[in-house]
Amino acid sequence: MNTQQSFFERNRAVIIFAIIALLMPLWFPLIGGYQGLDTKIMIMCILVVGFDLLLGYTGYLSFGHAAFFGIAAYTTGIMLKDFSGQVIPAIVVAVVLSTLVSVVIGLLTLKRTGIYFSILTLAFAEMFHAMAMAMLQEWTGGENGLTGMMTPMLGSIKMQGAVVFYFSAIIAIVMFYLAKRIERSPVGLMMRAIKCNQTRLEYTGINARKYKLLTFIISAFYAAIAGALMVVYEPFVGHEFLGWHQSGEFVLMSVIGGVGTLVGPMLGAGFMLYFENVLSADIGEHWLLFLGIIFMAVVIFMPGGFMEAISRLQARFNNK
Amino acid sequence: MPILDIHQVSLNFGGLKALQDVNLKIEEGSTHALIGPNGAGKSTLLNVLTGMLAPSDGSVMFDGKPLLDVQPHDINQLGIAKVFQTPAIFPEMTVLENVTIPVFAARDGAFRMNMFEGIDHQRPLIEFAEEQICELGLKDKMHTKADSLSRGDKRRLEMAICLAHKPRLLLLDEPTAGMARHETEQTIELLNGMKDGITKVIVEHDMNVVFSLAEKISVLAQGQIIAEGAPDEIKGHPKVIEAYLGEAQV
Repeated sequence: MNTQQSFFERNRAVIIFAIIALLMPLWFPLIGGYQGLDTKIMIMCILVVGFDLLLGYTGYLSFGHAAFFGIAAYTTGIMLKDFSGQVIPAIVVAVVLSTLVSVVIGLLTLKRTGIYFSILTLAFAEMFHAMAMAMLQEWTGGENGLTGMMTPMLGSIKMQGAVVFYFSAIIAIVMFYLAKRIERSPVGLMMRAIKCNQTRLEYTGINARKYKLLTFIISAFYAAIAGALMVVYEPFVGHEFLGWHQSGEFVLMSVIGGVGTLVGPMLGAGFMLYFENVLSADIGEHWLLFLGIIFMAVVIFMPGGFMEAISRLQARFNNK
Repeated sequence: MPILDIHQVSLNFGGLKALQDVNLKIEEGSTHALIGPNGAGKSTLLNVLTGMLAPSDGSVMFDGKPLLDVQPHDINQLGIAKVFQTPAIFPEMTVLENVTIPVFAARDGAFRMNMFEGIDHQRPLIEFAEEQICELGLKDKMHTKADSLSRGDKRRLEMAICLAHKPRLLLLDEPTAGMARHETEQTIELLNGMKDGITKVIVEHDMNVVFSLAEKISVLAQGQIIAEGAPDEIKGHPKVIEAYLGEAQV
């Protein structure tokens, strides 16, 4: 924040991400990745970037972001099934609805901090999960999940394969750019101040409660976009989308990558999905065990995640 | 007209009367000390002024506006800043970032939604924050993480955070508690050297600090104001001696 920089300097991270992302169909197969997985990675990148604004910047650990992911996914699914195959209205309705839900949940859960906040968010997400399984079974398909959507269309283009990938990748790049803008804005400064010292912030004339709610809603908005895209990518919604396991995965991705860096959680998301889908083919059923070991190693030895490892390596190189 | 008018304020914690019919008028531009034995209600009174505690009875007017039922951040926006007993800063942020926060709070108010404005495009605001930091003698520490400052420097930083918002009333809760003598002297110097016009209310145990700063002293004991006056009047006041040392020996 000390000097004016050129557009390229300021947006270096976004430009690098854009290049890596848009060229993914070229390099990803070389390391064993397959088409479709790259799309999923892009979608998860969107989610964890928003999640990091909440977890890494304001320091609020939500165990309920599957709610916003899942609500948007179900809404998109129902829109594609019963209204039209056009993706834009489906995504817009899903994201608006899910974000509105986040306003209510945010107002209620942000009354508490720390572990109480985490448990409250978890409870709300589980509530939606239970609703999808029972009360709303007619719409959600309950245990079997929601199937039978029309082929998603963008105008007259079929949303399949590479089209979905580029569609998701472009949205991911835009969302990352917006998150970077927020990070550099006064709002980003207030987010970090909330994590540091909320009392001082209140006594400095800032309504910390409103900034927390704003951050919560932004992160839910990101999760909702990811949830909607997930259904465009694969026309199916399972009840697991709303489950605590899904919420836990967002947390794992963020922590492994390094919270509070925006880039870290995206690395974490890429790593987790790659590990789960590619490396597990070699390791077999035990991949969760390996994941557990990696997670523990990161938390114990590198609390800053992959990003800490990278900056340590950089420091070592610079010393030589 | 006094800048701060505390009228008949009472506060009960269960059965304990923490404050009883406290009346206090603070003149604009003055330095007013609140002293009294432990548990007298000094910090409680400060917490009432900052909106942390709601009194059971009475009223508080700041510059003609009522302060009760106003949230802490709005009270700060009205021009009241508080210096805590333990310096309250943003430890994980740099000194400059610490002071940038109140600068934006002063410009934008308690909440503003514009999330896409780059901080680094606001040169004049950052320069103002830098000036504040320099004025408090932290120029060399501009980009140091606040956490790694010495205790004395943390106190300076906290003052810079408070002053960057251009407050009209500064509340200080034992600003020299736990400080070594030279740090205490630095703090006295800092407060004495502060620009005129800022009213200061200071809660302090160290009589040396009180007598070198205050123009007027109010003595609290058991939630009541038992004496009020210039430092010389307070020094020998029999009620004050009684409150501090127990029954006066005649």
